[in-house]
Amino acid sequence: MKKLFVFIGVILALFAISGCKTAKKEKLYIYNWTYYIPDEVIKDFQEKYGVEVVYDVFASNEEMYAKLKAGGTGYDITFPSVDYVSIMIKEGMLAKLDKSKLPNIANIDPEVFSKANYDPNYEYSVPYMMGAAGITVNKKYVKDYKKDVSVFLKPELKGRITLLDDMREVLGLALKYQGYSVNTVNEEELKKAKELVIKWKDNIQKFDAEAFGKGFAAGEFWCVHGYQENVFSELDDSQKQDADFFIPEQGAAMYIDSMVILKDAKNKELAHKFINFIHEPEVYAKFVDFFAFPSINVPARSIRKVTPRYDLPDLKNCEIKLDLGENIELYNKVWQEIRVGN
Amino acid sequence: MKIFKKKNYGQIYTAPLMFWITVFFVIPILIIFVFSFLKKSYTGGVLPQFSLDAYGALANPQFVKVVLKTLFISIVASIFTVLLAIPTSYYIARSKYKDILLFLIIIPFWTNFLIRIYAWIAILGNNGFVNNFLINIGLIEEHVQLLYNQWAVIIVIVYAYLPFAILPLYSTIEKFDFSLLEAARDLGATKFQSIMKVMIPNIKPGITTAVLFTFIPAFGNYAIPEIVGGKDSVMVGNIIANQLRVVRNWPLSASISVVLTVLTTIGVLLFVQLNKSKTDEIRKIKEDV
Repeated sequence: MKKLFVFIGVILALFAISGCKTAKKEKLYIYNWTYYIPDEVIKDFQEKYGVEVVYDVFASNEEMYAKLKAGGTGYDITFPSVDYVSIMIKEGMLAKLDKSKLPNIANIDPEVFSKANYDPNYEYSVPYMMGAAGITVNKKYVKDYKKDVSVFLKPELKGRITLLDDMREVLGLALKYQGYSVNTVNEEELKKAKELVIKWKDNIQKFDAEAFGKGFAAGEFWCVHGYQENVFSELDDSQKQDADFFIPEQGAAMYIDSMVILKDAKNKELAHKFINFIHEPEVYAKFVDFFAFPSINVPARSIRKVTPRYDLPDLKNCEIKLDLGENIELYNKVWQEIRVGN
Repeated sequence: MKIFKKKNYGQIYTAPLMFWITVFFVIPILIIFVFSFLKKSYTGGVLPQFSLDAYGALANPQFVKVVLKTLFISIVASIFTVLLAIPTSYYIARSKYKDILLFLIIIPFWTNFLIRIYAWIAILGNNGFVNNFLINIGLIEEHVQLLYNQWAVIIVIVYAYLPFAILPLYSTIEKFDFSLLEAARDLGATKFQSIMKVMIPNIKPGITTAVLFTFIPAFGNYAIPEIVGGKDSVMVGNIIANQLRVVRNWPLSASISVVLTVLTTIGVLLFVQLNKSKTDEIRKIKEDV
């Protein structure tokens, strides 16, 4: 019996000690996309500053925004895309950045800043990653193809193609191919895009935003539209040899995800440190190498070890998807006509 | 006095359940109901202004088309499910190994629902089990497209909700007095007739429950058409999700949900009423005899 008491006493003491330890550490609360930061980067940050990172994830901008808007407080940093940065600025949810604490912003390619003005002068947001969805083709089954959306009409791929179940992305491809803007609100242009997508629809297997990577790996699909990281994370090395990822020459819709500090953040000081840390060239190189992303951090490009699956020059004809406000209904109407028919 | 006391206890006993249902069922449904009459905010969410826009938007041919397709898929799936469930539960009820067989029915619930849907891709896919098997035995030369159409959706719905149909059917069949079947045979009915005319009417409550347990979740399904459905198998659940997550029209997804809830409730009440009056008739005939 005595032994048992001693044992319990020791355990309690251990809890007390470890409790003290964690209580002393500063905490940074990050709210980020699922799989968007390698664990190693977080660990390095914790070790460098002797702090603890509490990490929480979301699957879409809408989810993140709804949670924060509904009073989900306690986060310091989050990672909205273009349109949501502007919405969150308008709604007064973001804190102004103190640029004197962010010297590493100078590492970011000036071209990124020139691509969009959702946050004029970048007072509230620091770009984290710029990229686009593209097309992955299995070269085992298709030998001869142009690197654009014309692959969607190849008869030998009939029933082997998936398009993203995302109206802005799919209509964006069709709009760009015909030389229009991915943010157009011209109904005539949208109608032409719709007609093209309906032609694709005849040849594809399904609209899919969940399982196209798995289907590509299983040999079920030979040509998928989507984010390369979703496809390549499913493939083994020999499969990767056969997979060809490209962004259509005529361009596509693209995105910039940014780091922002929330207005009610408790630890703004540490949040600035984190943002600055991400844009250290060595850290940023680790991040982009992990996902084979293009690097918007100029010095990181020369020290990275993995060749990206696409790079900034591939995005030259791409255009940022902007917040369309009420006009999103135009896209939805066209999209319903494509999905359900007239 | 005694009765009064008893009544009080009853309220106390049911209080936790009532609390649970109010907080997690009634209040959320009320929120959906209220949201459906509000104006949408284009950033997602609602503005506190009354508006009927969300109901006006339902009057479009595409939406009606999707509702009809959803109805078709759920009705066909429910029919197949019940047709498969009746003989299965009959067999279990009459078997010596009831307990083991019931246990086997429950085992699949130990695996996550989504994983079980994904497993169907491995079964029905072009490089999947069924196709490879048929090619190996030489029945077909090229793969047959089994996945990504509404029949795949129906197959997976039948698979997913079969246990929910078997369990209530089993419990009614088990209570059924099988000597009635012998009596029917004695009186000159064939085996088939005795089942159709004696057993089926007697297990009607079980069939009703089985149909409802399949139809309702099938009608509101979202994940199954998303994963194994094709480019044309959009169901109402997918439209609700799309309106909520992509178009950010919360009132519209709320109004669709309200309309569906009302339609399902009316349908279920009618269905139960219809079956009840029929069973009552049978009971009456029995009493008369």
